[in-house]
Amino acid sequence: MNRYGPFNWIFLILSSIVLLFLVAPLTGLFLHTGVNELFETANDKAVQESIALTVWISFAATLFFSIAAVPFSWLLARKTFYLKSVVQGIIDLPVVLPHTAAGIALLGFISRDGLLGKAASAVGLNLVNSRGGIALAMAFVSLPFLINAARDGFSAIPERLEKAALNLGASRTRVFFTISLPLAWRSIVTGFVMMFARGMSEFGAVVIIAYHPMIAPVLIYDRFSSFGLKYARPAAVLFIIVALVVFTILRLLSERRKSGDKRNDYADS
Amino acid sequence: MLILNNISKKLGDFHLVNINLEISEGTYYVLLGRSGSGKTQLLELIAGLNSPDSGEIWLDGEDITRKKLQKRGIGLVFQDYAIFPNLTVFGNIAYSLESSSGDKKIIKEKVARVARELNISHLLGRNTHHLSGGELQRVALARTLITSPRLLLLDEPMASIDASLKDDIRRLLRRLNSHGLTIIHVTHDYREAVSLSSMVGVIHNGRIIQEGKPDEVFRKPVNKFVARYSGIRNFFRVKFRKDPEEWVAVSNSNLVISLADGSFPDEGLLIIRSEDIKISITRPDNNSVNCFRGIVTDILPSEYGVEVSVDAGETFYIDVSADTFRKQPLLESSEVWISFSPEAGVALEGSN
Repeated sequence: MNRYGPFNWIFLILSSIVLLFLVAPLTGLFLHTGVNELFETANDKAVQESIALTVWISFAATLFFSIAAVPFSWLLARKTFYLKSVVQGIIDLPVVLPHTAAGIALLGFISRDGLLGKAASAVGLNLVNSRGGIALAMAFVSLPFLINAARDGFSAIPERLEKAALNLGASRTRVFFTISLPLAWRSIVTGFVMMFARGMSEFGAVVIIAYHPMIAPVLIYDRFSSFGLKYARPAAVLFIIVALVVFTILRLLSERRKSGDKRNDYADS
Repeated sequence: MLILNNISKKLGDFHLVNINLEISEGTYYVLLGRSGSGKTQLLELIAGLNSPDSGEIWLDGEDITRKKLQKRGIGLVFQDYAIFPNLTVFGNIAYSLESSSGDKKIIKEKVARVARELNISHLLGRNTHHLSGGELQRVALARTLITSPRLLLLDEPMASIDASLKDDIRRLLRRLNSHGLTIIHVTHDYREAVSLSSMVGVIHNGRIIQEGKPDEVFRKPVNKFVARYSGIRNFFRVKFRKDPEEWVAVSNSNLVISLADGSFPDEGLLIIRSEDIKISITRPDNNSVNCFRGIVTDILPSEYGVEVSVDAGETFYIDVSADTFRKQPLLESSEVWISFSPEAGVALEGSN
């Protein structure tokens, strides 16, 4: 019986407390939500639209920004340049910033008086209270997750592989697409999923840029402040379920893609 | 012809200093040096992975110092082979062709040809994850050779393959070289230099401290470093022959040396390390093999005591400890006996 001494017991109890703290609120949330309420909320058009809006805007923002963020991550992994550590610090800034403060900063940038706002209104776009504005707010707070994961992925590839490809006559672009990108793919997908998830769950920055159209976190807050906990709960549960399903599918897809990479494309040559 | 003119490069705390080299077409050049001596950095400069701080690199009459590495036509096989893990063996070998020509049929034919030449046809459809060191090396070589390089650079090609495969690789490299391919081979192992090179350069602390034909470099090292580094002075060109009962090596001056059992080429090089040779004033008892009478031609102080040169038909260099030399002093021009066991003779297949 003495296999577990006091040391192990204390650590086990401390770990259980932390785990319980994480699990209890979510379990409570599910237990307090009746199946009927859940179905009712699921049939609520406003809830459906807001969840769909949240998922696709976050996905579109992640996809759009990854076009620039992935090459940027490669630069950070491979090149040394003046003030590189400052640039790294700037990338991590949104993680430590209060998100409402990030929203205020972004609002100044995209409102009609701001730099981007002026440019957008010149082509007839208004970013405040728009899907575009929401996408920018989501991307602003979640980009570090993609950039850092992709940078770590590129750093883990031995530089010699890229040099060997160059030595075989390939252009830098070809080396990037045939060697660097496929080898860092797993980290990039992980970063992509994390950025997407972080964007979906963003409330603080988005609520300042756009209360309407209403994304799910804003809708949950709106229901809570207008009608109370009972009305907010089913929407929250539904959003959590949708988020979990989406991430599970993304994970499965990325796993399949990885095992697909191992297939012998030239097996029959 | 490859010419390096006063190449210098600073890499962190390390300096390549005023490297001058001239390597004519068809040469098998072995660059010999310890790890950290700058040999890999020099290869990377020639291949174009880095640019020198000063100096020029010329290849076949063209200044390639600032030329893009993709356009140099110089093949480099990395020490760890740098095989692309996301591609199959076929994908690796065909990599350079797929960027230039899109015709799949031609690509397949070319890959099949080079794979046949390197005995890796059976691996083409495989992933690279479970290949052995020797197989990976052949894939890396095939991938480079398919580009028809003007110059082949090999970074420690024998470092991570089994001893049993080294002979195969040596034969392969010799064959490539005999077909006219100029090779620069970087290694820390003097035996590779002896068995493969037509020219040897010894690099130490970022400088080439000696260069020449392997016999010259190992017979007449310019300084202690080269001598110690090569570790050999007794270095004879011989013909190997199986007498009815034993293998023997016959030197150019007809000295017959008995060898331990093994397999030997028809001719090559025989190495006997100085420390394996015993020297005595009288004929040693019970020693009928490899016991030769000779004349002391030179006695030089060495790190261990003295180094005695003895002419016994061939010149042998023998290390004698300071203690032994005090107890049994030797004089120049005196008659001595030298002996060594058949196991002391190391045979190397040497083509040059």
